[in-house]
This record gives sequence, C-alpha cells and structure tokens, in this order.
Amino acid sequence: MDVSEVSADSTPGGESDGLRPLTATVSARQYLRDIWARRDFTFALPFEELRSSHLDTFLGNVWHLGNPLLSAGVYYLVFAHILNVDRGIDNYIVWLVIGVFAYHLTSSSILGGAKAIDNRQGLMRSFRFPRAIVPISNTIGHLLTFGFQLLVVVLVALGSGVGPSRRWLALPLVLLLHTMLNLGGAFVAARLNDAFRDIEQLIPFVLRLLQYTSGVMFSVDRVLAGDNVWAQRIITLNPIVAILDCYRWMILGTPLRPGALGIAIIESIALLVFGFRFFRAAEHSYGKP
Amino acid sequence: MSRGAVSVRVRDLHLEYDVFSERRAGLAQRFSTGTGSGRRVVHALKGVSFDIRQGESVGVLGSNGSGKSTLFLALAGLLPPTRGEILVRSEPKLLGVGAALMPAASGLRNIRLGCLALGMAADELDEVIEDIVAFTELGEAIERPLKTYSSGMRARLHFAIATAVKPEILLVDEALAVGDKAFRTKSRERIESMLAAAGTLMLVSHSMNELSRLCRRGIWLEKGVLRADGPIDDVIELYEATGASDD
Repeated sequence: MDVSEVSADSTPGGESDGLRPLTATVSARQYLRDIWARRDFTFALPFEELRSSHLDTFLGNVWHLGNPLLSAGVYYLVFAHILNVDRGIDNYIVWLVIGVFAYHLTSSSILGGAKAIDNRQGLMRSFRFPRAIVPISNTIGHLLTFGFQLLVVVLVALGSGVGPSRRWLALPLVLLLHTMLNLGGAFVAARLNDAFRDIEQLIPFVLRLLQYTSGVMFSVDRVLAGDNVWAQRIITLNPIVAILDCYRWMILGTPLRPGALGIAIIESIALLVFGFRFFRAAEHSYGKP
Repeated sequence: MSRGAVSVRVRDLHLEYDVFSERRAGLAQRFSTGTGSGRRVVHALKGVSFDIRQGESVGVLGSNGSGKSTLFLALAGLLPPTRGEILVRSEPKLLGVGAALMPAASGLRNIRLGCLALGMAADELDEVIEDIVAFTELGEAIERPLKTYSSGMRARLHFAIATAVKPEILLVDEALAVGDKAFRTKSRERIESMLAAAGTLMLVSHSMNELSRLCRRGIWLEKGVLRADGPIDDVIELYEATGASDD
C-alpha cells in the first residue's frame, strides 16, 4: 500500500455500525448513576489522601488527633488563662472550639473545592469519570478531618464536666445539613475558580467576612437583641449561624432558633441543587490544559 | 492492513483551548477593552479525520507541539472537541507517564486508586491488584511513595494499571520509551496479545525503532493537520526525509 499525503478535507468513508459518540452529555439522572457507580473511588480518594497526608512525619497518623487537640489547647491557654474572657457564655472554651472547628469545616470545604480541580489534574488527565466526584471527595475528606475534631470537642467537653446526652444522636442529621451546604459551596467555588483563577485569591477574604457574621468567636444574641436591623437580617439569613447553633445545642444544650434553622435547611438544599447544576454545566471543560 | 470493523472514527476534529501567556496588556487596558489578559487561543487540531480498525496498531508521529498528545486526550474523552466528532466502539484508555496520580501515596495505593478510577468495584480489586503488582516487577518499591519513583518505574505502574482492565482501545503516549529492555519486551507481548484479540493500539513515540516495531500503520501530524497516513515504515521515511525526526 502506498503512502497518501492527506489533505484536510479527505474523509474516509464506511460503515459506522456499533460506533457511538465519545463525549455525549448525559441526563442528570444518568450522571448521578455514574457517580454512584464510582462510589468506591469517590470514598477511596479522600481516605488515601488522609492516610498519606502525614506519612512523612515521625508521629504519622497521631497528627490527625494531635492537630485539633493542640488547636483546642491554644484556645484554652489564650482565652481561659491569658485573656481570661468568657464573653458571658458558660463553658466558653467548649463553645468556642465547637464554633471554630465547625466553621472551619465549611471554609475549608469551599476553599478546597476551589482548588480541587487543579489539584486533581493528574487523575483527570488519566481517567474518565464524572467530574463532580472531585469536589464531592474533597468535601468528604474535610468531613473526615472534622470527625477527628469532633472527637476532640467531645473529649474537651467531657473534661470540662459536660456529660453525654441523648442530643448527640442528632449528629447524623446535623452533619447531613452541614454537608449539603458545604458541598453546594464547593461546587460553586470549583467552577468559578476553574473559569477565573482570580477567585481563589478572593475566597479567603469572603470566608473571613462570613466568619465574623457567623458567631464563631462571640454570640450573635447581642446583635439580635440590638437595633441594627441589617445586622440582624444578615445573621438570620446566614445558614452557618443556625448550623453552629445545632452543634452547640447537641454538646452544650444551648437553645436552638427553629425559624433560623428552617431557613438554613432551605438554603442548604437550594445551594446544593444550584451548585450541582452550576458545576455540571461546565463538565467537559474541567481539566483543560 | 487488516479489515476489521472500525473501532475509532474521527471526523474533521478541531480542538482549541485558551492559554495565558506572560505577555499581557496593562491592567487599565485589560479592564477598558476586556482584552489583553494574555489569553490566547491555541488551535491544536485543525480538522483531523481518520478511521482505525480493530486489530490495527497505529503509530502517531510529529514534532513537539504538533498536536499528538492533544489528539490522545481528545480520543480518551478527556478534552471535548471544539468541532467535529469522535465515534468509538468502546471507551479508549489513555496511558501516559506525565500524569501523577497521588504522589505522596505508595505505588500500591496508586494502583488501587487507579483501578477504582477505571470503574472497578472495591470488592473485585484484590485479584486484579495481585496481577498488576506482579506485572510491574517493582518488588518492595511498590510500598514506596510514587513521588520517589523514576520515570521508568512510573511507566511500569501506569502500563500495568491501564492494561489491567483489558481495554479494547489503548492509547499509549510516550509511556514505553522510558522503560528498560525487560519491561519493553513484556509490554510488547501484552500489546501483541491485545491486538490479536481484535484490540486497537495507538502509540505516540519519538523513537522510530519502537514505532516500527510495534505499529503497522503510521499517522503523521504536523501543526494540528494530518500530513500522511499509511504503512508505518513509509510514513517514517517520509517524516525523516523532512529532517524533523529527533531519533
């Protein structure tokens, strides 16, 4: 056979039985099914990450618990002994540590979601899988880290005389609500950051602003009782306030605000649905050179 | 050339993507005109068409930046075509050494993860992994973090993972050249048994020796356009006549 120097318009013809298009957009239902089919992969990814994250340290896996313990220790030292403040809150250290860890779960999930697509470039250039798995497994990874932090919270709570309670049984529901919010945020951040890398620089500032309106370090009660209507609106509409309330209610028995909790549930579901659709709309463009 | 059924059909494939260059306009101009952000469109493939049949082994040649790797990313479904279409009989699997899976995790863990990413279920892994580990012949190094591997060791790992699922269409991007002689012999045997079972191989390489040994047909890409398509030795001869070869 001789060599043909091919011109751009020459198209070999022939039968196309059994051939199918390679990149076809699938329905949302099929997409979710594809994710489900890769569930072992989705979960293995964050576990492997967790397992290998402290491999190069002497203490290794001890750091998963050591890290949050030291954080709690620093707060205890600074607030209970050096500054000696309790901001009028009973058991302030436990209250504060819950808030810091739970808020950090949201902020790290969102920031991690923004960076996840870039961090997983190697996997995405090697294997075909629904790209939503990247932010999902990233969110699961942060949830695993939070598990260790919760353990520390419980230890600190027990150490400071707070007994176990039946309220702890609500944990799965609270985690579910919290995760819907975090995952929705991670989806949005992932797509935005993939389109505009400038977003990654802005997110930490947005998150810090969010932190100050979420009642992480101080109670929002005083703002709600005050006369600044806008501040009250922001706090009522901020789902993180209600989610932190849930954790504090579970551990410390502080009151819940049912209205705010209802709003948080609606917002979290809405953000998850919106985030999923928003992320998926750019499915084929993730991982481009 | 074999006359099996078509397994990959590419029609008028165009691929463009944006890149950022270091030369950009001033901030004021970027805002006032919305341009000059350094964004450039790279037209990596400009209307490529070909059919590849079952049992065929096709070597892809071309100088650096001619669009070979982009073509493979597109054929693996990892880059959507800007225009044109790609039809396949089954999903092609891409094998390259550039992609680091999880650098901090061990080779063994990367094998696990790679298999799961290919769509295997966790409970069917044990048996497959044993085969993959045996094929890599990495010995105790399999427990070491991937980032400590040489490129040859990585190639062994990637090749073993990608061929473990027995893909019908395998795309190999420069992954064999870095291996030693023992590995090249082994990988060649595996590729040949795959071709015998009506599989399809596409191989990017700058080693004319390797292309000539493993492939029967050659495709020459230059600046995103198909320059030649025919028996591998003829295409190599044509390619080398231009002085473009670096082997």
